[in-house]
Amino acid sequence: MDFSTLLAQAALNGLVIGTMYMLMAIGFTLVFGIMRIVNFAHGEFYMLGAFSAFFTYAQWEVPFVFCLVIAALTIGALGALVERAIIRPFRNDELSGMIATLGVSVVIQNAAVVAWGPTPRAMPNVVDGVLSVGPFTFPLSRLVVIATAALIFAVFWFFMQRTRTGRAMRAVAQDADTALIQGIRVNTIYPIAFAISVALAALAGALMAPIFSVSPFVGLTPMLKAFVVVILGGLGSVPGAVVGGLLLGLIESFTATALGSLVADILQLLLVILILLVRPWGLLGQKEA
Amino acid sequence: MHDPRLPTTGSGRLPGSAAGRTWAVRLGALAALLAAAALPHFVSNQFYMHMANLALLNAIFTMSLGLIAAVGQLSLGHAAFAATGAYISALGALHLKLPPLLGIAASGLATALVAAILGKILLRLRGVYFVLVTFLAGQVVTLVALNWESVTRGANGLVGIPPISVLGYSLGARAQFYYFALAAFVGVFILLRALMRSQYGRAFRSIAENIELAESSGIDASRYQVIAFAIGSGIAGAAGAVMAHYIRYVSPDTFTFHESVAYITMLVVGGRQTLTGAVLGAAFLTPLPELLRGFVSMQHIIYGAVLVSVLIFLPGGLASIGHRIAKMTRGGRPRP
Amino acid sequence: MRRLLTALLPLACVLSAPAASADSLKIGVLATLSGAGTAWGMSMQGAAELAAEAVNAKGGLEVAGKKYKIEVVAYDDKYKAADALTAMNRLAFDDGVKYVVGPLGSAPALAVLPVSTENKMITMTMAFTPKALSADFKYSFRPVIPSDVFSDPQIKWVVEKLGGKRIGGLFPNDESGQQVGAANEKAYEAAGAKFVAKEFFERERVDFVPLLTRVLAQKIDVFELNGNSPQTAGLLVKQLREMGFKGPIIRTGGDATADIVKVAGKAAAENVYVHQPIDLASPAIQNYTKRFEDKYKIPLNAFSPFFYANLEMLFEAMRRAGTVTDTDKVRTALLALKDFDTVLGKVNWTGQAQWKSNQQLDAPFYVAVVKDGKPVVQAKCTPAKCQ
Repeated sequence: MDFSTLLAQAALNGLVIGTMYMLMAIGFTLVFGIMRIVNFAHGEFYMLGAFSAFFTYAQWEVPFVFCLVIAALTIGALGALVERAIIRPFRNDELSGMIATLGVSVVIQNAAVVAWGPTPRAMPNVVDGVLSVGPFTFPLSRLVVIATAALIFAVFWFFMQRTRTGRAMRAVAQDADTALIQGIRVNTIYPIAFAISVALAALAGALMAPIFSVSPFVGLTPMLKAFVVVILGGLGSVPGAVVGGLLLGLIESFTATALGSLVADILQLLLVILILLVRPWGLLGQKEA
Repeated sequence: MHDPRLPTTGSGRLPGSAAGRTWAVRLGALAALLAAAALPHFVSNQFYMHMANLALLNAIFTMSLGLIAAVGQLSLGHAAFAATGAYISALGALHLKLPPLLGIAASGLATALVAAILGKILLRLRGVYFVLVTFLAGQVVTLVALNWESVTRGANGLVGIPPISVLGYSLGARAQFYYFALAAFVGVFILLRALMRSQYGRAFRSIAENIELAESSGIDASRYQVIAFAIGSGIAGAAGAVMAHYIRYVSPDTFTFHESVAYITMLVVGGRQTLTGAVLGAAFLTPLPELLRGFVSMQHIIYGAVLVSVLIFLPGGLASIGHRIAKMTRGGRPRP
Repeated sequence: MRRLLTALLPLACVLSAPAASADSLKIGVLATLSGAGTAWGMSMQGAAELAAEAVNAKGGLEVAGKKYKIEVVAYDDKYKAADALTAMNRLAFDDGVKYVVGPLGSAPALAVLPVSTENKMITMTMAFTPKALSADFKYSFRPVIPSDVFSDPQIKWVVEKLGGKRIGGLFPNDESGQQVGAANEKAYEAAGAKFVAKEFFERERVDFVPLLTRVLAQKIDVFELNGNSPQTAGLLVKQLREMGFKGPIIRTGGDATADIVKVAGKAAAENVYVHQPIDLASPAIQNYTKRFEDKYKIPLNAFSPFFYANLEMLFEAMRRAGTVTDTDKVRTALLALKDFDTVLGKVNWTGQAQWKSNQQLDAPFYVAVVKDGKPVVQAKCTPAKCQ
């Protein structure tokens, strides 16, 4: 494998992982921007999305597009319920809210172990085969992930820019008090925001399930990465999550390919700590008063 | 033992009974201490002694975390300091033949110093930003312990750590170690109680309540936060060292993110406001997993459910039950 | 403090469940029953429960004219040393157990062996660390064969047969991965091949493509899977084949065949050379596999029959020693068993050379190649050589 192939391969890997990080981080940062909640259970919704895809696609053989829709709707509805029952009491208490999501995460993950067992399950690819362009080979399954993620993001962006609810959500994120004065009802906006957030996580899970495997423990890594991405891009900033996600995917892919995984992991953590210290509001976030 | 901020029964009007209460509390504490000291004579089952030891150590971890929480900051890297202390003392004992007691003291001082320096840098961040950075710092410690093989022996961990010995008398056995843990627990309890009652404690509380207000009234919030962070982390470091000499084995798995979460859970379930809360949390949650030792998933679910329910229904934690009952028995009479 | 005690006491009452009746014998299981190592933990728990079932079906274990019903007490160590220690304390002091199937991992083993030895408990470990067996830990036995024993002959056979010169591999950055990585490198070099790409990764990692890209860039002939959990091994096979690697993939340690086929799929798993600790064609093993899979509805992990065999030997040793309480006598009787017939066939104890004590089970093992999702045995091995 020559150098340019290596570079192209690393770039594609970086994009695939980056889109997953992006989808995870958008939801994570959305909830923080609007509700001021750091959701430690975000990874568990990714895991639920992966299981949803496993059952619908691998077992009931529903077409994959519908699998994605089902995952987004069911997990989104579950998210709205969780918001109503558990997150709502902590509206003005960031730290308690965060601890509550830690509890939720433990419960969901272990309920999944009880229900579906700890053994990993494999899922067939949505498309098989590779795309060969000159010396480069790209697995089609990974290209599909990139395309679908881009589509999902486009839908999300349209929703946030063009719909009433989307604009209301952005208004709350920018300035909750002013939004309230203008008559935006927080009690409807919050559950919707939380549902959209976890639906995005579920979509990421469903998309990645055929590429990786499905088990109750798959949510941890994506959540840790979502942390890193939102710090990189700025807590609460959606464009920051997009740029941060893709950037992290690429950085990770190139450093791991060039230097090995351990060096890459430690460098990543140090980079994030450094950013937190010199620019806590992230690359694209807004400095808080 | 109770929080000075919480209203006591008609404090202004009945000074006599308040003083009586204080004495009752002191007597109660003394009786409890005597009972605790006599425990090994009544409990022959070594497993219960082991659980008691773990509960005492967990209480120390939780109390020290509570000190950091008392200045309004939540550390998700508490276990990382415990790990640092454990490795320092274990390596000192294995390579330099450092007596464990000395190693424990050195671990406490070293981690306090590290925390003070880190605190200077990290405590510019507040709220969730501080939580995230402590979380990441914890991950770095775990990674370093795993990868610095020449020193930490990597994932294999350090084997054969000697037990604590006092004047040539080994405290390796559970019952003997229990007295050491009890003494350490009482010492930390008294130290933190005195600290919270001093002018520092008052400053801590005003920072936790409203940091802007505290700063505008001339309190150097960052300085107090660094002090609390250094002392709390130092105690965690020393306790981590004690744990290493008790289990006599330490690996990167011994103190991880999960332990940090466990300490937070104990603190929240017991009650964040008081020292007693931290102790109650550790005493309640340390033995809880044993109920389902063969079925860990259920055990975790119960753990998580207890955490969430306490947060929602009993925000003051177990420690506030007493006050709630007192309030109810006083009847619905509105307070003047 | 007082509240601490009042909080502890009711729990203490719950914990001290009614004492077992006089003619029951408790066997402890201390293994990983949650998280990624569960498949191995279940193989140990299953062995204990099936062994108990078999004995109880015959009315119990008859020792010195008394019949004992076997009871299994299983605790989870979450693959953590501290939890393993707590669970071992509980087995020793609360349950009064003298015989334990476990501990599973090397870190838990090193943490609990001092306690079990102090209390003269006979343990049957899966830990591959060389330190798990020694003259100091008199009561520690190991039914499974660790990689430093089996990897050498197997690697020699594979290198000779496949002619691979440039080897690559990924290892988890944990105690087994770090050990296996070093041992494997040596074994390949002794066999005349070279480990040209050796990478470690954190256990949480799920995407190996960047690392595999790095490994494949070294133009390797053969990929080594040893040291990885069954799930990770499956993922590696899947991602390697997706990246177009067509060379042989070798798993020289730890049975993971079922998971590799499950995760990677039949097509990708074709021509993966696996370590096969048992001969799947033997009727005793087939019978055992059926019992296990009927009861637990999960594929049999090939380590399970080793623990079953060890328990068969233990029960026989108790009969011969005429006691279930004096573990010194049971230990002597256990070590005296020669060419003993078990589910694995005839087995012996070995280990004098490496550990100065014969506490390692000696059984043949096999190299197999996956064909259409099933392992097909290619060679039979002893610690000396494969053929």
